[in-house]
Amino acid sequence: MEEKKGQSMEKTRSLSRLYDKTYKFLLFIPFILTLISLIYLGSFFSNHGDFIYKDTTLSGGTTITLNGNIDSGPLESKLKPEFPDISIRKLTDIRTHEPLALIIESSSPPENLKAGIEKILGYNLTEENSSTEFSGPALSQGFYKQLIIALIIAFLLISIVVFILFRTLVPSIATIFSVFSDIVMALAIVDFLGLRLSTAGIAAFLMLIGYSVDDNILLTTRALKNKENTLNERLFRAFKTGLLMTLTAIAAVLPAFFIVSGLPDSFRQIFLVLAFGLFADIINTWVTNAGIIKWYCEKRGIN
Amino acid sequence: MIKLGIRVWILIIVLFLSLLSISPSFEKGLVIKSVDQNSTSFNEGLRSGMKLKSINDQEVKEISDYTKIMNQVFPTQNKTKLIITTDKGEFMLYTNETPKITLGDIPRTKLKTGLDLSGGSRALVKPEKDLSLSEMNDLIAVTSNRLNVFGISDVTVRPVSDLSGNNFMLVEVAGASPSDLKELVAKQGKFEAKIGNDTVFIGGERDITDVCRANAECSRIEACYPSENGYFCRFSFVVYLSEQAAQRHADITSKLGVNVTESGRYLEKQLDLYLDDNLVDSLYISENLKGQVTTQIQVQGSGVGKTREEAIDNSKDNMRKLQTILITGSLPFKLEIVKLDSISPLLGKEFTRNIMILGLVVFAIISGILFAKYRNIKITLSIILTMFSEAFITLGIAALIRWNLDAPSIAGIIAGMGTGVNDQIVIIDESVSNLNISIRERIKRALFIILGAFFTTVTAMLPLFWAGAGLLRGFALTTIISITAGILITRPAFADILKKIQE
Repeated sequence: MEEKKGQSMEKTRSLSRLYDKTYKFLLFIPFILTLISLIYLGSFFSNHGDFIYKDTTLSGGTTITLNGNIDSGPLESKLKPEFPDISIRKLTDIRTHEPLALIIESSSPPENLKAGIEKILGYNLTEENSSTEFSGPALSQGFYKQLIIALIIAFLLISIVVFILFRTLVPSIATIFSVFSDIVMALAIVDFLGLRLSTAGIAAFLMLIGYSVDDNILLTTRALKNKENTLNERLFRAFKTGLLMTLTAIAAVLPAFFIVSGLPDSFRQIFLVLAFGLFADIINTWVTNAGIIKWYCEKRGIN
Repeated sequence: MIKLGIRVWILIIVLFLSLLSISPSFEKGLVIKSVDQNSTSFNEGLRSGMKLKSINDQEVKEISDYTKIMNQVFPTQNKTKLIITTDKGEFMLYTNETPKITLGDIPRTKLKTGLDLSGGSRALVKPEKDLSLSEMNDLIAVTSNRLNVFGISDVTVRPVSDLSGNNFMLVEVAGASPSDLKELVAKQGKFEAKIGNDTVFIGGERDITDVCRANAECSRIEACYPSENGYFCRFSFVVYLSEQAAQRHADITSKLGVNVTESGRYLEKQLDLYLDDNLVDSLYISENLKGQVTTQIQVQGSGVGKTREEAIDNSKDNMRKLQTILITGSLPFKLEIVKLDSISPLLGKEFTRNIMILGLVVFAIISGILFAKYRNIKITLSIILTMFSEAFITLGIAALIRWNLDAPSIAGIIAGMGTGVNDQIVIIDESVSNLNISIRERIKRALFIILGAFFTTVTAMLPLFWAGAGLLRGFALTTIISITAGILITRPAFADILKKIQE
């Protein structure tokens, strides 16, 4: 037991020396990742006129979900001429790969889309065999604008709370930057995968803001407020705690994609956005923010 | 005997209260979900919420039992006796048609699931102009009234507003969605009776003192005739006008000339009935009403159908619609349905089941990770207990405030569980570190971090209460309830338990 402890202490010490030498260079990695994400989002914006692909809850239109195992091929080819912007997705069971439902989206009004589908399927769509969701274009665009405003408000409020908590400039800015990078990276991944975000998906970004500040607070508090042990030891301990926190959070989020299937779309989106954001958060908190805090402490002579 | 601290006692009490609030029941059977007003069942006293025990001494436990009995008794020509036994007593119906009630399973808890999980319809309605508070309340009263008269139960109508200051009316109908919800809600329901260009009376209490309904003496289907496409029926009912409206009628008719036709002597202009600016019917006015102040007017209309029964049903529907609009009055502004969702109950059921499975899987995985990390059954168990308590208290509060748990709300609970665990990890790690300072001090530090995390999450979620007409409010609400329960109740208790474990 004693020997093991000695070994691990030796390992920690050499790691600590390595970290002292490299942490400023390590800072480049997240900065570059954030920059790439920003450039990607910029080019996405210039190509699509917006920062995300929006689903019908944000852009307006109709989503019809057909229950059961229905072949999407003929449906898509026959609907395309009449509804050029149609998109069809399958909802399948993860284990059996059995199709559970078909999700059809279009910007057309529900009556038209419903009639078009009924004509091809040869039976009427009822409450028993389908769900229909319609959002008016003006309303959806209003929702989109408001959710973006909500996101900005949340971000500003969080910044204020962080300043009040830390009462020091550099650590506060480092935390806010880390949250910002989480959002930007998660957004870039969402766009890269071609996901169409819904209102729930954007709400998840708000949650992400709340979630991702947690370990930054932990890090800053441990590094600046506590005075025991060396700075590196405090950072490392905070890292161990924070990583466990983030990993359990990711573990709470991931089963929605790999183990349990047949979940509402809104639900899956919330979890997916959180998962991307939390992965980004590991880098942004423990490389960027930790690095900045260490730099700050060294300048201030805190160790 | 372990002495429990006050914080642990508070946790136990709150958990007990949550249990009371959720009040799980293991009772099986059927409950009446809605009763059509204007039906025999309603008149005999059957009401929604009553639990069905038996019909004609045959036990009713499932929907299939009910359908079986109904198929034995109906269809029948003569009125038959039906004895319906409920938990609130026995009701006797004499009828030749199946009772106009809808049934559902007795809910197992007081928790209510949202539309996306239970199925149903939701309409977000926007008035064409900005409404004052009282106008919005009128709109909601008129709409609720109208839905009630149509016998649609399990419905909530409430005002919502969004960040941009737009006001909407949100109408949610649980269970199977009535296909005419759209028509019912969006139509302004503006009723006008005109002679030429002069309005004689409009719908609403100002002009109409009463409308005869559910009384065969003055409200009935007159007759049905075969027509080109099937059948055609006429209905009529009596409307009682106010003095002023009657006077107006007299003034306008006094100026009219008389036409003599084969079927009788009528005034030269007809009384035109408009519904939402569409002409529904034109009634001949007999000569003897010319210039008369009459407070009783017979309104007529018609319905069509492929068969005689269909035509009768259609006429009844039209009659009821007209009656409703005459009583409830018209809205002085147009409405637009800006969002209309109808979710299949079948898919919702599947979703609910899968979300429950997901909750258990998340629970198991987190427990596994924690046990792998701490290798201490007591610590792992206490974290799991805390996590469970937070979710349970959140559900308890949701049941208490009758919150409809939709998919985002449940996502909020699961996300809240994640945050809760995070905080426990902070408490544990702080409490086992720096053994040279007191545990009190260490836990105080942990609580600082947790409080910080709490405030940031609450602030981040706050804007969701208003953005997007509050349709995502559930997500923010459950997250905030869950972390607040955590900060006030479970985490202090957890810190106490941890102190005990380490001593």
